[in-house]
Amino acid sequence: MGDQSTVVSGGVLTRRRFFEGLAAFGGVSLAMAGMDALGFGFASAQAAPPKLEGDAKGTKVVVLGAGLAGMTAAYELTKAGYSVQVIEARSFAGGRCQTARKGFQHTDLVGNSQTCEFDEGLYINHGPWRIPYHHRSTLHYTKLFGVPLESFVNDNDAAYVYFEKGDGPLAGKPIRKGEIAADARGYAAELIAKAASKGQLDAPLTPEDRDLFVAYMINEGRLSPTDLAYTGTEGRGFDVHPGAGVDPGPGKPSTPYSLTDVLHSKAWRVLSSVAGYEQQRTMLQPIGGMDQIAKGFEKRVGSMIRYSCVVEKIKQSDKGVKVTYRDKFGEQDVIEADYCVCTIPLSVLKNVDADFSKPFKAAMSGVSYAPVNKIGLQMKTRFWEENHFIYGGHIYNDMPGIGTITLPSTGWQGQKGVLLGYYAFGGEAAKISAKPPAERAAFAVAAGQKIFPEYAENFENAFSFSWHLAEFNLGGWAEWGEEGRKTAYPVLTEPDGRVYLAGEHLTYLGGWQAGAIESAWQQIGKLHARVIKA
Amino acid sequence: MSRSIAFRSLFIGGLLAASAASVTAFAATPQSLFNDNCSACHQTTGKGVKGAFPALAGDPFVQGDPAPVMATVLAGRAGMPAFKDDLSDADLSAILTYVRTSWGNKGQPVTAADVAAARAKLKAGKKPASLQAH
Repeated sequence: MGDQSTVVSGGVLTRRRFFEGLAAFGGVSLAMAGMDALGFGFASAQAAPPKLEGDAKGTKVVVLGAGLAGMTAAYELTKAGYSVQVIEARSFAGGRCQTARKGFQHTDLVGNSQTCEFDEGLYINHGPWRIPYHHRSTLHYTKLFGVPLESFVNDNDAAYVYFEKGDGPLAGKPIRKGEIAADARGYAAELIAKAASKGQLDAPLTPEDRDLFVAYMINEGRLSPTDLAYTGTEGRGFDVHPGAGVDPGPGKPSTPYSLTDVLHSKAWRVLSSVAGYEQQRTMLQPIGGMDQIAKGFEKRVGSMIRYSCVVEKIKQSDKGVKVTYRDKFGEQDVIEADYCVCTIPLSVLKNVDADFSKPFKAAMSGVSYAPVNKIGLQMKTRFWEENHFIYGGHIYNDMPGIGTITLPSTGWQGQKGVLLGYYAFGGEAAKISAKPPAERAAFAVAAGQKIFPEYAENFENAFSFSWHLAEFNLGGWAEWGEEGRKTAYPVLTEPDGRVYLAGEHLTYLGGWQAGAIESAWQQIGKLHARVIKA
Repeated sequence: MSRSIAFRSLFIGGLLAASAASVTAFAATPQSLFNDNCSACHQTTGKGVKGAFPALAGDPFVQGDPAPVMATVLAGRAGMPAFKDDLSDADLSAILTYVRTSWGNKGQPVTAADVAAARAKLKAGKKPASLQAH
């Protein structure tokens, strides 16, 4: 592949050839600049904040919301010479970037009040909880702020898959993902390999390619090279593990499930040739909780934040923006600025008295917000590690309202642990969130008990969070339909007068912290260009 | 695989399993469908939560032309989530009729056929839910 791409065939200039030409002509720096221009860059809009060059002339910016979008804007604008104030409704910074640990309090809109009672050192990330390796914007700040990361186990062959709605003997039975992967792929490879070896595939294979294809299928499915049969493989695990001496000695191989049982279980739904882009390995998480990122920002911009101040009015003139808010003492106050970066979720912003233009207001209605539930369950032993040898990863299942059950990627082999008892969204989440916290926990424990017999007896306490019932969020993330993306979304990505919206809702990285950061980067870039030109 | 079989028998014998089963066996009435799916935000009283979730009781939009009401519930709007992938035409029509005729509301009932037509108009077919989000 590499050799081929250096060849100009038939007068066609390949990309690689083009860059090599640049390097030969103008040195490496010119080649790099060329790569940036073509979007293969090392400093793309996703990887680093915009360079805000030129005099900001002490321009005043009020930022609404001290989530990651707001704090990104505050941090970068201040560095560029702007005078920034941040208004935050909560008593702490971070927005959805929150971590619940001992003493964390939350009262939802309908009056459910909870105080987290996890043991010291345990936590649940009830908001964002993982960082894909290609979210370079998020990783830009974790590196800059010295927030240490660890692996988030997003795929675990030993984790169980539990599908109730399939049929056959495997339905409603916890099966290890690696077993299903080995068997489903093994049988598929066997069928394809046998057909291919007899020339029964329609694919245009030369005799040489056919041999290679069969070899690939043997490798893919771990087939017998002689008769192309799949009869199980050590990769799916052992009934008796290999060990010392003659007993257990070589151990006892496991027996594959039958093809028909695997098919009918529907558990193959968890397999695909590659993971979705957002779910690929390597996945990362901050050590000690996702809010370490929020704290990294807060350390640098905290002095600009007015906490427990709820925005009530946004009014603009051609000279500036006036924001009226109510502070924690119930007093109304006004802050005036030249520009405003507003990161309030649209679900909340639509209830704020703002004099946005008519098209802008209409566009704000073009989005819906996802009901999202999470629950952390403290378990007094880490039975999933001790008895089931599962270190992190997801228990995929088809139980309504549960979504995934996820085992912690931290604190392995410790005494206790907090696992994620459900992560559900949409209508299923709305349904469970109507229950009071104790019933939500009972629901989650009953579901987990179907997979682990130790679940209920180990359960100690729970902390649940429903983002649609959180006063300053009213939803987990923005959900754009096709129509909204086409008509409303582009309107909101442009400023309305002197107000620039920013947040995950104005990206194609919805619900991700990288979306919040990159949206802020984009909007402050536009704002700065306007200030410099003025 | 003996381990998995052990799980299963424990599960079947378990008290928790019994209570979970009784929840799903509960017969769905229009009111219970509303309470299950809508009351977290709009409240069982239909009064909503001021400043966050609009009241359905006494609301003219809710009782008026059923087309935009069905479209809102199917596709979501202005903060409200889409329910097209979570509820059947029959369940949606039962909920909508309940909302349009409860708490003193005087709207016309909505049939499953109405919802099916609205769904077709939105091209809002059921998509398989993905296993992972963010």
